[in-house]
Amino acid sequence: MRTRTLLASRRLSTRIVALFLGLLLLVQAAGFGVISATIEGSARGTLARELEVGERIWRRLLEQKADALVQGATLLAADYGFRSAVSSGDTDTLGSALENHSARIGAQIGAWIDTTLEVKAVHDEGGSMADTAVLQRVAAELARQPRASQVALLGGRPFRFVAVPVKAPLVIGWVLMGFPIDLALLEDMRDLSGLQVVLATPGADGRLQAGVSTLGANAADALRSGDDSAVVDGTQMVTRRVSLAAGSGASVVLLRPVADAVAPFRQLQWLLLAITLVAVAVFGIVSVFMARHITTPLRTLVGASVRLGQGDYTQPLQHTDRSDEIGDLAKAFDTMRVNIAAHAAEVHQLAYRDRLTGLPNRAQFRAAVRDAIETGAHAGSQFAVVMLDLNRFKHVNDVLGYRFGDLLLKAVAERITGHGVREGDLVARLSGDEFALLLLGADATLALAVAERIADVFELPLLLEDQTVDLSAGFGIACWPAHASDADVLLSRAEVAMYTAKRKTASALVYDPVIDVGSAQTLSLLSELRHALDHDELRLFLQPKIALATGKMVAAEALVRWQHPSRGMLPPVQFIPYAEQTGFVRQLTLWMFEATARAWPQLAALGIQRVSVNLSSRDLMDTELPAKLDAILARHGMTSAAFCLEITESAIMDEPQRAQATLVALSAAGFKLSIDDFGTGYSSLAYLKQLPVDELKIDKSFVIGMEGDADDAKIVRLIIDLAHNLNLTVVAEGVENAAVMAQLRALACDEAQGYHLCRPVPVPELVAFAARWQARPNEAASAALH
Amino acid sequence: MIHRPLPRRCALWLSASVLAGASQAATVELSLQAGDGKPLADAVVFLESKEARAAAKPSAGVEIEQAAKRFTHRVSVVTLGSEVAFPNRDKVRHHVYSFSPTKTFELKLYAGTPANPVLFDKAGIAVLGCNIHDNMVAWVVVVETPYHGLSSADGKVKLDNVPPGSYRLRSWHPGLPTGAPALDQALTVAADGTAATLRLPVVGGTAP
Repeated sequence: MRTRTLLASRRLSTRIVALFLGLLLLVQAAGFGVISATIEGSARGTLARELEVGERIWRRLLEQKADALVQGATLLAADYGFRSAVSSGDTDTLGSALENHSARIGAQIGAWIDTTLEVKAVHDEGGSMADTAVLQRVAAELARQPRASQVALLGGRPFRFVAVPVKAPLVIGWVLMGFPIDLALLEDMRDLSGLQVVLATPGADGRLQAGVSTLGANAADALRSGDDSAVVDGTQMVTRRVSLAAGSGASVVLLRPVADAVAPFRQLQWLLLAITLVAVAVFGIVSVFMARHITTPLRTLVGASVRLGQGDYTQPLQHTDRSDEIGDLAKAFDTMRVNIAAHAAEVHQLAYRDRLTGLPNRAQFRAAVRDAIETGAHAGSQFAVVMLDLNRFKHVNDVLGYRFGDLLLKAVAERITGHGVREGDLVARLSGDEFALLLLGADATLALAVAERIADVFELPLLLEDQTVDLSAGFGIACWPAHASDADVLLSRAEVAMYTAKRKTASALVYDPVIDVGSAQTLSLLSELRHALDHDELRLFLQPKIALATGKMVAAEALVRWQHPSRGMLPPVQFIPYAEQTGFVRQLTLWMFEATARAWPQLAALGIQRVSVNLSSRDLMDTELPAKLDAILARHGMTSAAFCLEITESAIMDEPQRAQATLVALSAAGFKLSIDDFGTGYSSLAYLKQLPVDELKIDKSFVIGMEGDADDAKIVRLIIDLAHNLNLTVVAEGVENAAVMAQLRALACDEAQGYHLCRPVPVPELVAFAARWQARPNEAASAALH
Repeated sequence: MIHRPLPRRCALWLSASVLAGASQAATVELSLQAGDGKPLADAVVFLESKEARAAAKPSAGVEIEQAAKRFTHRVSVVTLGSEVAFPNRDKVRHHVYSFSPTKTFELKLYAGTPANPVLFDKAGIAVLGCNIHDNMVAWVVVVETPYHGLSSADGKVKLDNVPPGSYRLRSWHPGLPTGAPALDQALTVAADGTAATLRLPVVGGTAP
């Protein structure tokens, strides 16, 4: 039980020791058992042989004693006086001679047998128990073997008989002498053989009784037990029964204590036990040391791996100098430690460094800001965060490729770190083209100065692979603790300031809680927008398009306004960009279609032949769009020809393949397609040619500028010529005065749209406008309508 | 001593040859054989009858010498009343004795010839031994007839001067069982003599 517990122990050392000791004990026990069994068998074998030898000794002893008795009797028979007495023929004389001479040699029974083997006279020292028939039989036997003795029972007691002839000088008869088998004989036997001897004779009831014996009072025990063993006075003995006289049942039992034969082996067993105990002790000590030799280093390895698990890779492992498996394990652990440390450093690098520029990334920057806040809180110091975002970087990527974009970012990083910042300032690349600086100890003024300096550095054109790139960026600044107490809030405020700067095309702006109102508003814009869609807060505005050739209102562009419950009417620029970012713009597009379709009957009544609706790049990615539009048309009983879909070049170029597929499908469905803001993008004419486009819409920047800028005017004319050559119609937007309108008409532009004609208005106002427009006296007067 | 009757199975062949000669005395020639038919020496034969007993006289000058630790005569035949001397020719002393009922005597250790010879006054067979030398044995057959003899080495016995008539022919040899009496058979002695062959149930031609 204990062994099992030890083996089940969780301690390796305990298990090793228990296992070794257990095995040793098992082997020893097995050996002990085998030896014990062998000893037992061997001892029994030895005893059996000893008893066998004992029987031979007994028989030889009887023969020797018989010889002596025969010799004695022979001498007696030769005695002249005895012979005279025997020859006298007088019975009394004969009897007394037998008595006398028997006593001389110690015989208890003496008998005279004549030559015819008849018993003539008997003397019995012990009484009148001599049985003449027995004597006669014995005499007859002995007459045949004169030198032998014969054992026979008389009165239940065994006697040895010898018979010798009496010669005078011829044989005149035999004298028979009987000697009891007595203790002296048995003691002789015991002294000779070392065996105990018990005489057994059949009693009156036929059962054996113990006669004389060397065992004394315990003799009866010897007869009580089994065939070849007995327990005498508590001692195990091996026995052997030797018949005394055939047919008489009398026997002697030879006994030998088992212990006598086993005794030498017992000593051996004790010695073996002592050796076992010593071996167990030695084994125990040695295996404890061995186990410690193994488990102690294991424990230190466990400790080392715990330290590794806690991220402590600094401490080299012990036991690496060992040449055994433990040493190998320790070396492997140490190698693992070194590799993990390297790996951890690399992970740290990956986690906190920007791969491209080698600058800290957003996570690192954020941590640095937190550290700075903590330090600042203790030291009472301040710091500023400058965040900057490159302008038009997306276009660089689009036109010159990402590889070039990457080179540009690296160059920017170098410029910021090399020229723009002070020693100790932290520069990080937060994402894409967004960088940030942590200026410890700086206030808003100093941060602004830094931002200005970086902006100045950016002024220098950057030459990359034979391409000259103009850099510009928007800078936002937020200070701690002035603008925020929390790192994340501080960063977002710097970002807000930066976006505001970009929007205002200012170079750098310091965060002001005022601008953050808009920022905060945009954060919840999306959910509000959803709400607006569901609660009918969006309004359809339309801006008419006038056919320049006829002066008639032939079309309109559908635009969306948000009637915000608290902020009033919001222009698209305040929510469309976010809707585009989130994809919500697709719902807006569908809403536009729906609203336009509802308004269609009114519009058609005004003479409007088609309404333009803007599609975003998200819409173009939606392969379901044609089906959805179809459903709307079907619901309102409209034809697709009533819609013109305006798409900006950049929307197409985001993913030209899918965009083209969608456009082809829409065109096939009967929708007219128009390229919006034409002239600002980078699309190739060859690509344009592949699109099923019906109309080009000249970007308003050219139209606005054509009055004062000859180049813009040329571009407008080129676009108009190009479109007409490609059999496309041309729409000019941003028509803000009559002069431009006149120019466009001169250039044979097909349609015009702009504030000079009408700003985007709700349907009722459009109706009103249409009425006024119809009633206008002439072209010049139209300008006066505004 | 217990006597047991011996089977009388001895055969007797009588030759009918009648010797010519005196009518007063005849010669009886007997030839003795052992059981295997070989000549039997030292066999005693004697003829008994009332007349013969009357005619018997003690033998005179009978000696049984001892020489070389032997009785010179193993078997002697004497008539009743004879005195026998036991001269010792050896240098060692002898102690001659007999426990036989025929004559029990003892000549205690002696050298030379004991003063008194031993008188055998009872018919029968006496076995003599020496108490010193167990190997010495001799027999004395005491008969009551003058007609007795001892077979020679060729087994022949010749009895002279035997009056013709009827006799009991007795024959004995040491080879017969101890204590056995002499064999007994009838014999008629013719005037001109008688010859007969006797076969005794003993083994071999010599005494034990």
